[in-house]
Amino acid sequence: MREAPFPAIWGIRASLTPRSTRIIPTCTTGMSTPEPSAVLPLQQPARAPLGAIAKAFLTVSVFGFGGGLVWARRIAVEQRGWLSDAEFLDIVSLCQFLPGPNIIGIAVCTGTKLRGAPGALAAIAGFLVLPWSVGLALGVLCLRYAQAPLLRHVLGGVSAAAAGLLIATGLRLLLPHRRRPFVIGLAVLALVLMAFSRLPLSIVLLALLPLSIARSAARRP
Amino acid sequence: MKPSPGLLALTFHLAIVSSISFGGFPTVLPDVRAFVVTIHGWIADQDFTNIFAMAQAIPGPNMILMMGLIGWKVWGLAGALAASAATFVPPCAIYFTAFRLLRRFQEAHWQRVLRSALVPVTTGLIIASGIVMAQAAGITWAAIAVTAAAAVVMLTTRLNPIWLLAAGGALGGLGLLV
Repeated sequence: MREAPFPAIWGIRASLTPRSTRIIPTCTTGMSTPEPSAVLPLQQPARAPLGAIAKAFLTVSVFGFGGGLVWARRIAVEQRGWLSDAEFLDIVSLCQFLPGPNIIGIAVCTGTKLRGAPGALAAIAGFLVLPWSVGLALGVLCLRYAQAPLLRHVLGGVSAAAAGLLIATGLRLLLPHRRRPFVIGLAVLALVLMAFSRLPLSIVLLALLPLSIARSAARRP
Repeated sequence: MKPSPGLLALTFHLAIVSSISFGGFPTVLPDVRAFVVTIHGWIADQDFTNIFAMAQAIPGPNMILMMGLIGWKVWGLAGALAASAATFVPPCAIYFTAFRLLRRFQEAHWQRVLRSALVPVTTGLIIASGIVMAQAAGITWAAIAVTAAAAVVMLTTRLNPIWLLAAGGALGGLGLLV
């Protein structure tokens, strides 16, 4: 799903490899920016306006369906030139092992890098305020009629499909590790503990993470 | 106005789980469902599923919105604000601090170790979320088939997931999944 970070991250990593040069303001041709209307602004050496940061992450939030990361990179790296590819990758890999909805992490880190704490707040505000308010209003309206049979059936169908998307996201993450019995075994164990026992998440993490970290530390030179 | 003890408990619980939501917020869905549906009975399973479906279908920060709607369902606007804040404030504080402290140590050995250690656990948890939400969506053969089909299409094509949600909604709306 949108907030499951890893597959999208791997996708972006793959798409990053051929291009590693930083976008410089004089370079206005030969860009592979998908939007034909996108014009590269002159890169500002020091200050990105807070409003622009907020607007950028509003776009990431609204169009982020199926991969907010792709949009974050498109805007922050390709269109605005706020980050180099290497800086963007650094941020992505930092967010990769921190808890939380990772796309927000990218917003926070990009905002922080550009303008410090105010930049981070602007990025969060852009990402959340409008989409959250509109979404809440829509959701509340929907909930009011959720008992109507038609809407209930539609939501049931959406939910069944969305569950499938979550399962696919997890499976795709496991795919590169399919020949590593330890990884598969631990994933199955986490799955069974979380889905079928009534243990809280904190206990499951506390039981499994040390095991996984020990193994991972031992594997690497 | 005195804050309700239930809302405080939910806010506190969400703040804790969002702080340990390695691999993204979907990994904590089974825990949140157990907390609000099974343990406290604040919300019916049907409502939880409905809210999940809505949050997935509305563009924007879907997991934060989902927690907001759960808060709304029980405590109104105060609930929506508290539950949403508990979902995003702790991780944002962590991201902010970590970015300031750690960005110079990107390729530190322990970071690589931690990253690879998280893979098996978080993937298992994400799949568990899918299974739990599929169970909550209703255990009919048709619904299971929709879940399986969505997973297979997502894995084998690059189709935008919004179409899969739309297809699931259409099949459900036609009354084919009950």
